[in-house]
Amino acid sequence: MYQYDEYDTRIITARAQQFRGQVERRLSGEITEDEFKPLRLQNGLYMQLHAYILRIAVPYGLLSSKQIRMVAHIARTYDRGYAHLTTRQNFQYNWPKLEDVPKILDCLASVEMHAVQTSGNCVRNVTADHFAGIARDELEDPRPWAEIIRQWSTFHPEFAALPRKFKIAITGSVQNDRAAVRFHDIGVRLVQNEEGEVGFEVLAGGGLGRTPLIAEVVRSFLPKAELLGYLEAIMRVYNLFGRRDNKYKARIKILVSAVGIEEFRRLVEEEYKASMTPELLLPEEEIERVRRYFAPKSYRTFGDGGEAAHKQADEKWLSFQLSTERGFGNWVKNNTVQHRVPGYVAAVISVKVPHVPPGDLTDVQLDSVAELADRFSFGEAVVTHTQNLILPDVEVAALPELYQELVRLDLAPANYGKLTDVIACPGLDYCALANARSIPIALEIVERFEQVDYLNDLGDVSIKISGCINACGHHHVGNIGILGIDKKGVEFYQLQLGGSPGNDASVGKILGPALPQDEIVSAVAKVLDKYLGLRESAEETFLEAVRRVGLDPFKEAVYGGEKAAE
Amino acid sequence: MAKSEVRWIVTANFTADGAVAYRRPDGSWSRALGDAEMLAAEAEAAPLASQAAKLEQREVSDPYAIDMALGPDGLSPLTARERIRAFGPTVPIRRADGGRPSPDKLAR
Repeated sequence: MYQYDEYDTRIITARAQQFRGQVERRLSGEITEDEFKPLRLQNGLYMQLHAYILRIAVPYGLLSSKQIRMVAHIARTYDRGYAHLTTRQNFQYNWPKLEDVPKILDCLASVEMHAVQTSGNCVRNVTADHFAGIARDELEDPRPWAEIIRQWSTFHPEFAALPRKFKIAITGSVQNDRAAVRFHDIGVRLVQNEEGEVGFEVLAGGGLGRTPLIAEVVRSFLPKAELLGYLEAIMRVYNLFGRRDNKYKARIKILVSAVGIEEFRRLVEEEYKASMTPELLLPEEEIERVRRYFAPKSYRTFGDGGEAAHKQADEKWLSFQLSTERGFGNWVKNNTVQHRVPGYVAAVISVKVPHVPPGDLTDVQLDSVAELADRFSFGEAVVTHTQNLILPDVEVAALPELYQELVRLDLAPANYGKLTDVIACPGLDYCALANARSIPIALEIVERFEQVDYLNDLGDVSIKISGCINACGHHHVGNIGILGIDKKGVEFYQLQLGGSPGNDASVGKILGPALPQDEIVSAVAKVLDKYLGLRESAEETFLEAVRRVGLDPFKEAVYGGEKAAE
Repeated sequence: MAKSEVRWIVTANFTADGAVAYRRPDGSWSRALGDAEMLAAEAEAAPLASQAAKLEQREVSDPYAIDMALGPDGLSPLTARERIRAFGPTVPIRRADGGRPSPDKLAR
């Protein structure tokens, strides 16, 4: 993984020192909350309902075991003994004291971490496919490019005061977009042109929030060396023409939608032509320098390394799935993913456990995960935007041992990609913007549908819950989306069906009137029962079934004939 | 059942740790809703919130006036938001076993 150079270290240390002074002035009353707010937001510090929260950047989700141990140390020393995985591959602390935040930033800086640009109207932490670097369906590892984007966008002076926040995601998989690039301000896909060259498809104008829109292609093929120059052109057009009079209309998606993709593309290309000079091309040696940090690990070669050995490794993995120890078999089947290197898999550590808020990990668990990363996965782990962790490089033969360790940590639910792998924002239990709670709904779903055989029968189906229209829980792109709304101080929940964040991107459609809290999970159960009754075969996924039959049968199931006819 | 009346209070967050703050009758700040000064109307509470924003911003941040129900057991919030502010998250803050490894844990 990338290691800080002297420049990285200097700017992160300096930023921590600068924020220490700002905090001291706030605590002494020298500056007001209004003056302090933009300063703290630049350092990921929000004021929530009953505490500050501190959001920590984990660029493209990649963490070393040393960093995980530091996250645990901070949780134990300065927070309430746990940290929370966010829906943008970051960590978050829910209870830091203001006076402790500079100390936390010092701790983070000591392991090459920070909280810079995790908030505010700037380019936020860049996200990527959580299986980057190991996926079999990957054209090329996107992480070097994510790192190049991170370095370019960190403290970029021209883009420090954008009309609104700005999110960039990148994927190297042509077939399976696991980074939801079509729902980002800029989405970058590694693609191959007709001549066989690998470059980028660049999309813009996607997003969730109160106006969910799918990004459109601005440039279908961009040579690699031109990446930053082209991103700058897009950002400059947005910075010039994006609305600043209304924060709800300020994202780039509104600009793209208002002028149309053709005109937006013309503006970008014009700006690019005017501003691009050879000096702005990425030097090949710099690309190689960054790429070296992501060189393949020292994987073991199995057998003679030939086709027979590969086949044998795959067979072992398949035999584990059929293990008579069904807990283990289900976990291997659902929570491990084939690696591009034979004999290895990526193991998903599900952080969707009954009675525990999705994505919460205690300091003890974090320390243990760091140890597992060292023992089983070259000392690295990845945070997913679905609020789980991945050990990306696990030998197939080590799976029984890893599984036993995860069982002891209560981190072995076999539910990755299944119904109970719920994404939920912090909701009204923490968030000052929320209208309704998300976590209790997620917990109820996890507890009600815990039976793994039922989950396997349902197949892949996603539930995503947001406590308000800002959509941090990505409800628009859940196969089943739940949105919390406020009706005169009382929490209600709207059900949406048919969303998808992937290559087949779609925004879910509202099923009907919002339901009270005590009815929403039962409504989900009715939707699932209806799906099981109408699917054409066990192979037809929930999403495929919704797309085939439309919403009416599900409306009927949830609301009965009267409401369904409305 | 006795009908509750509406009272107005001034609330904020403590600057030091972000905890919820309620303005007492003497102008100091408490962490307990029960300590809050009860005012009959928004017109009485709003100026106190504005004053706190100007004069007490070192101790508290973002003060505002909010209505509450006054019943036989004292003040109670009228909205889910204020209820959660007053009494904390409704979900476990940290799992009771601390996530410590246990040989007894069973596979799910």
